[in-house]
Amino acid sequence: MVKNFSQNQVERLLDLVPYLTSKPGVSLEDIAADFQTSKSSVIDDLNTLWMCGLPGYTPLELIDLSFDTGFVSIRNADVLSKPRKLTSLELATVIVGLSILKESISSQSKHYQEISDLLIRLSATSNVPTPASFDSKIDPDLRLIAEQAIRNHRKLSISYFTYGKDVESVREILPMSFQVMDFREYLESFCYKSNDYRMFRLDRIQSAKLLDVAKPDALEDRESAVMRHIFLRILSDARLVSETFNLNMSRAFTPEDEFETAVFNDEWVIRTVCSLKASTILTRPLDLRNQIKERAEKALELYV
Amino acid sequence: MSRKSERLVNLVIALLATKRNLTKAEIFRTIEGYDGSNEAMERMFERDKDELRSLGIDIEVSVLDPLFEDEQGYRIRPENFQMDTKGYSPSEISYMSIAAQLWKSASFDEPSQRVLRKLSGILVPLDIAELPTISPLSIKAPNFLGEIINAISERRSIEFLYLDSQLQARKRIINPYSYFSHQGYWYFSGLDVDKNEIRTFRCDRIQGDVTACGKSNKFEIPKGTEVDGKVGDDNSKFEATLRVRRGRGSQLRSFAVSIKAEEEHDLLVVEHVSESDLASLILWHLDDVEVVAPESLRHETIGFLQKLVQSHG
Repeated sequence: MVKNFSQNQVERLLDLVPYLTSKPGVSLEDIAADFQTSKSSVIDDLNTLWMCGLPGYTPLELIDLSFDTGFVSIRNADVLSKPRKLTSLELATVIVGLSILKESISSQSKHYQEISDLLIRLSATSNVPTPASFDSKIDPDLRLIAEQAIRNHRKLSISYFTYGKDVESVREILPMSFQVMDFREYLESFCYKSNDYRMFRLDRIQSAKLLDVAKPDALEDRESAVMRHIFLRILSDARLVSETFNLNMSRAFTPEDEFETAVFNDEWVIRTVCSLKASTILTRPLDLRNQIKERAEKALELYV
Repeated sequence: MSRKSERLVNLVIALLATKRNLTKAEIFRTIEGYDGSNEAMERMFERDKDELRSLGIDIEVSVLDPLFEDEQGYRIRPENFQMDTKGYSPSEISYMSIAAQLWKSASFDEPSQRVLRKLSGILVPLDIAELPTISPLSIKAPNFLGEIINAISERRSIEFLYLDSQLQARKRIINPYSYFSHQGYWYFSGLDVDKNEIRTFRCDRIQGDVTACGKSNKFEIPKGTEVDGKVGDDNSKFEATLRVRRGRGSQLRSFAVSIKAEEEHDLLVVEHVSESDLASLILWHLDDVEVVAPESLRHETIGFLQKLVQSHG
């Protein structure tokens, strides 16, 4: 059902009574702010509420309001004085919010257990489901730091746990993009320790620190570290391609259309285009196009 | 317009205050705002009931006299109308309020503001200094997530436009079973009514809005179905043998169940849940990785490499 004005007003009126009951002497301005409405509609609400009450509607039964001083007090509104139940949509916002809260705090914290219990109880008494899983396993700060590093081309010093070798090591990396594979999240980076491209699993980065902005001249030293514009044609898997290269694909397109995007790193482009299984063609710049061909040919030699 | 609001509030007050169910005749006689012909009042009352119900207010109907079935009585039970404030500790009320505040000027601004209003009366300040700041990324939930959750709890179908893998927006009708968050994205799973298969959807691939359609309680959520959308860690793993250049392929090595050293290479047996994802990863490594087995993957890899050479020639 489309919510019309009077319906919103009814909701507001019903919520206004417990609100006023718990805040005797609250100012009209504060009410307007809390109810996200104007002062004049608050006055309109109060004038309406003043006419409400129990059947009989004598002064004995009517809600008694005073607000001519600009501060509101309410009497004789016992029936409505308790806050209304949360609707299931409202509960959903609380439940999702609590789940996020829980995921962002240490499981050692006393809040963690309390919030977990509360979530179970809210869901059980309301039939509003909690998330089936909430799997980030990633320190929220880390994601922010990595985002900043990608955006500002800054290096990170990370402490990384290498699963295969079972060791933790400290290294400097230049992050280039977030990648999701097999439901795991990776930070694709140039690693200065191995002088090569590496994928770092986000959940295995134990800590990360932003280093200074890589100096522009230092960037130019590295032939491939300059932003370049590339042009792509898309044959299939358009969603994957557009998400990988962050393309703006709001319009309809044909396989002949070229999409332009800026990338930071040649090696990443070559490998990524190959990993997309021929669903996209890099048309320009030509040197990159040739490199893709040559590298694929070289890989084919393995199978001769 | 205020007259109508006034009548509706009066109706709520009367139905809440009564200790027994009120008949329509009693309602029309005593509640301010009902006038006109009997027929007009009946219509008015039906609309009012619908409006209150759409606000989530539970109006109980009962037959007062078994001999006259159309003589029904109405009331609103306080326990169905009011929040159970005693059931929650002050700190729990605070958590709920903090959870609602997360959405301030974010996805669920409107319903969360209503939550805050309702809780404001019973809120006791809590020392929350220990609670961390939330990454703004984690609250990038879509506006319609609330609708989806609502539909799950009401067992209602939902309808939306979804970008398929070719980026074509297609209408989907789903009986939603569950929702979850994974690595910063929100997903939900449910039965695709047209395909009759359980599918998982990523919320940011939905175009426009999600709308509930059809009646409530239209379906049952099957028990024990793996519907949290995770590609289960231990079901249907796919195995492949790869020859990987020494010092390369650290990511493939992390999937390896066995590693055997050769001269310049290592022979890896890797386990992966998706053959298609594994093929991508192998192609990413270009000439550092050769597929030894299975033949299908080897064949597929060669095919893609040939296509790449052709299309970039």
